[in-house]
Amino acid sequence: MRRRDFVRAVLAVGAAPKLLLGQQAAAPPPPPAPVPWLLGLNAKTPMPQVAAAEEVAAAQLRFFSTQQMATLARLSDVLMPPVGEKPGALQARTPMFLDFLIGSSSGDRQKLYSSGLEWLNGESKKKYNTEFARLTDQQAGELLKPWMRTWLNDHPPTEEHADFVNIVHDDIRTATVNSREWSAAPEKGREPRTEEELYWSPIQPDLSPQSGRALSVQPHVQAVPPSKHRIPSYQR
Amino acid sequence: MLTETYDVLIIGSGHSGGMAAKILTEYGIRCIMLNAGPVADVTRDAQHKHAYELPYRGFRPPGQIEHVFQSNGFNANVWVDEREVPYTSKEDQPYNWVRVRLFGGRSLFWSRQSFRLSDYEFKAKSHDGFGEDWPISHADLAPYYSRVEGILRVMGAQDGVPQLPNGNFIPDDAPWTLALQRFIEVTKPRGIPVCKQRRALGRDGLASSVNLLLPDAEATGKLTSVANAVVRELTVDKNTGLPNGCNFVDRLTHREMSVKARAVVLAAGTLESTRILLNSNLANSSGVVGRYLMDQVYGPGVLASVPQARRGNINAWMGSAAIVPRFRNITSKTDKFLRGYAINTTASVEAVPARNFALYGAELQRKLDEYFGSGFYMTIMGEVLGRYENHVRINKDRKDAWGIPVLHVDTKYTDNEFNMAKDAVDTACELADAAGFEILSKNDKPNPPGYSIHEVGTCRMGDDPKKSVLNRFSQSHDHKNLFVVDGAQFTSAGWQNPTTTILALSMRASEYLAGEMMRQNI
Repeated sequence: MRRRDFVRAVLAVGAAPKLLLGQQAAAPPPPPAPVPWLLGLNAKTPMPQVAAAEEVAAAQLRFFSTQQMATLARLSDVLMPPVGEKPGALQARTPMFLDFLIGSSSGDRQKLYSSGLEWLNGESKKKYNTEFARLTDQQAGELLKPWMRTWLNDHPPTEEHADFVNIVHDDIRTATVNSREWSAAPEKGREPRTEEELYWSPIQPDLSPQSGRALSVQPHVQAVPPSKHRIPSYQR
Repeated sequence: MLTETYDVLIIGSGHSGGMAAKILTEYGIRCIMLNAGPVADVTRDAQHKHAYELPYRGFRPPGQIEHVFQSNGFNANVWVDEREVPYTSKEDQPYNWVRVRLFGGRSLFWSRQSFRLSDYEFKAKSHDGFGEDWPISHADLAPYYSRVEGILRVMGAQDGVPQLPNGNFIPDDAPWTLALQRFIEVTKPRGIPVCKQRRALGRDGLASSVNLLLPDAEATGKLTSVANAVVRELTVDKNTGLPNGCNFVDRLTHREMSVKARAVVLAAGTLESTRILLNSNLANSSGVVGRYLMDQVYGPGVLASVPQARRGNINAWMGSAAIVPRFRNITSKTDKFLRGYAINTTASVEAVPARNFALYGAELQRKLDEYFGSGFYMTIMGEVLGRYENHVRINKDRKDAWGIPVLHVDTKYTDNEFNMAKDAVDTACELADAAGFEILSKNDKPNPPGYSIHEVGTCRMGDDPKKSVLNRFSQSHDHKNLFVVDGAQFTSAGWQNPTTTILALSMRASEYLAGEMMRQNI
């Protein structure tokens, strides 16, 4: 604080009692500057409107190669094209989302995708002498349909290639249905709905294994006020 | 305040710990309850969101809870983070340890299926020669089951099937829908019973220790609870050799703390209670602490479609659910496996998942429209045998976030479980075919052990102190003031969801402990 400001503040504090005596019926004056830093936010504070980064910015490719992404994009378009009013996987930006998801996933999952995309592109070159990304819907279907299987939750096919095709199909569908674009599109029939559930934030997450913050957390009391919720009393 | 000596230290706040707290405090006994995690406040910690607002569009966050197949992006933060509290197992023997450390534990999240064990479980060895009988029978536990069913408000029917004893139920007299009627027509001639589901209604949509048990304990003024208290080990009185409290770590601050008590009740969940005992070197003169880990086979099943319910014709046909209790090795004997399995049966009114059709794109959507609300699910719950070699032990080379040695889980299914799963799927397919339902997909491969979240055993009860850890009152053979009241005490697993039995055993053990304390035997 500059000296001039400090002197002004001291004078203001000194004058306050006299002013108060003369204005007892009036509203109390604003607190003298400087005000306490962190006491301004309150329940009436307007909430700034912000957009999700994914809506307004381009994500950077971080896991798949450019070639793999081209294959994944075509595969996504074939397996989940727009149907009725609902967007397809490309409109839902599913391929780039999967780059983010798979890039964060376990080595097994990453290998399934990488080797699966390479295999698919290789099959395309063998059969049609061109990249999978350039195939027609019919050509792509001829490569994919022999590998489509039915399966129960948690038990995708374990057969090589069928595992990739069916798991990637499931992931593409989930990511697309759970996109903002899908949710915003009108519902005409019995299309799946974007999941909407109770989301649990991290609960007292002070101990974070990803960072070294755990040991530097300030101690604080963890008692829960007993009166916070009504204690139920049931007739038995 | 924590330096005073309490009457009873209860470790864990789920159904078993909550029941112990309720019973003991209602006898006027002063209890301190420690729970390893925080209190979940739905008004503070949760809000409705769309999947696209989540970091991974509803997918499970990678790396956090790889073994919790039940998790997704919405509930990821209620489970124990495996990076924070790891455990180990052999690469080719995965184990799914599904844990919740919030106050109330897994009682906050359960399917509420509420079945009694029968004497086909309590006296299983007498029936088929394998393993050990429990030191108690259904008659010993029946009065406690009835009281538990009253607290949980279990809805069900008095089906009168010996392998699924009747109970104190809110009557379920709703008629079967047509799909279930059709199913029953084909099970009856095969001698396969079909019973109404038995489900805890609870109160206000919840059947947890935090709303059904702990409020009663708190009302006595005799319960003190501490959240975020991660127990390191039990402490022992040097003069008597008896447990006299525990050392714990504050989860958030890492402060080392301790409490003292005249008696200790372990209710941290099967494997956490056992981990505490193993890290404390207590109660193991038999050498079987950690041994005989069991659970139930989950994962195998069949999804069929009821043709009459397609194209929107749902109402009369769909909507019921049933339990087919174990029917193998009851009145007849199969040479393929010991014990048996139940089949959870649901005539669902929801969409059939897309993975049940080998199609994609517009063709798939047409199929999904047509089959909407026609799914008939049959999934198994199969008994896993208690084997000495299926065990947990302390891994001294790995510690959790608070420096506490972690568990190593060494368990696997055998041909008994695999054959059981195959028989269940073959039988379900036969029933679906006979009923005229179209089989869409099937699976006879079990999920990894632990998936059912019904892990039991590792401190089994028995009359012989050389073969068991606890006596018939859930009391340590070695230390008279130490009790284990959760699933660890099971002598055999049964096919039934274990919660009702855990609650009944905890109630019985707690009343016994209260009596012993009042008689000054403890």
